[in-house]
Amino acid sequence: MKECNKQIEQICDYVDGELDSSLCRELEAHLKDCKNCRIMVDSLRQTVILCREGKPERLPGELESRLNSALKRRWKKKFGKK
Amino acid sequence: MNENQLVKLAQAGDFDAFNLLIVGHKDKIYRLAMKLTGNREDAEDIVQETFLKAIDNIDKFRRESSFGTWLYAIALNNIKAQAGDRKKMTLKPIEEYLPGGHEAGAAELFDWGDPHKLFEQKQLQKLIESSLAKLPHKYSVPFILRYIEEMSIDEVAAAIKLSVAATKSRIMRARLALREMLSEVFKERANERVQ
Ligand SMILES: [Zn+2]
Repeated sequence: MKECNKQIEQICDYVDGELDSSLCRELEAHLKDCKNCRIMVDSLRQTVILCREGKPERLPGELESRLNSALKRRWKKKFGKK
Repeated sequence: MNENQLVKLAQAGDFDAFNLLIVGHKDKIYRLAMKLTGNREDAEDIVQETFLKAIDNIDKFRRESSFGTWLYAIALNNIKAQAGDRKKMTLKPIEEYLPGGHEAGAAELFDWGDPHKLFEQKQLQKLIESSLAKLPHKYSVPFILRYIEEMSIDEVAAAIKLSVAATKSRIMRARLALREMLSEVFKERANERVQ
């Protein structure tokens, strides 16, 4: 069990598909016998998936037009009219 | 026209070029500001301040990073100046988030299964939002940039001005802390269901 804690960085890389293939095989061998690490892999993966769900927020239209006029004013101030 | 050409034009005073440079970043910066501040008014201020500062400092942009990374750095400075890290949780030492817990013989972790069976989508989103908002910015910012905005580690490191190793470690801690917050809620919910 103690060994598991040393693996956490590898587990994160593994979940992201960024672990070297030789280390991958080692970790997979460990995962076969270690339920907690299997749960860790699954739940860390799901943590990111859940965060990506839901529709992405977009800048509301009125806010964007307010922003655009503020930017235009600032631009004129800086560069003069063009 | 590529980014470099647009930057040159913008630096010479071409407002259309500037607009082309920022058009893809407005939503992203707004999303980040919303996630971190949790309210629209603050997010609006941050977006506005970020792009105004980008205008003020456009001549100082030296193309050492991408324009987007430069914008993020400005936005993050604004967020820091405005919000600070009020009422955020303190993260535990990293060992306490790990699968083995403290020592050998640690308790078995809760197996998530499919969280969508425990909560409706809307409830899940709320839970994610509130959990992310509890994290100190120094952890939530790199996590959001990496996994929600899908920037590379190098880009995130450039935006938050930390080494790649330090950036990776912050992202990992955020992920572990979030995992644990969610796990506690899921476990409680699953137990309620059984009863
Ligand atoms: Zn293990």
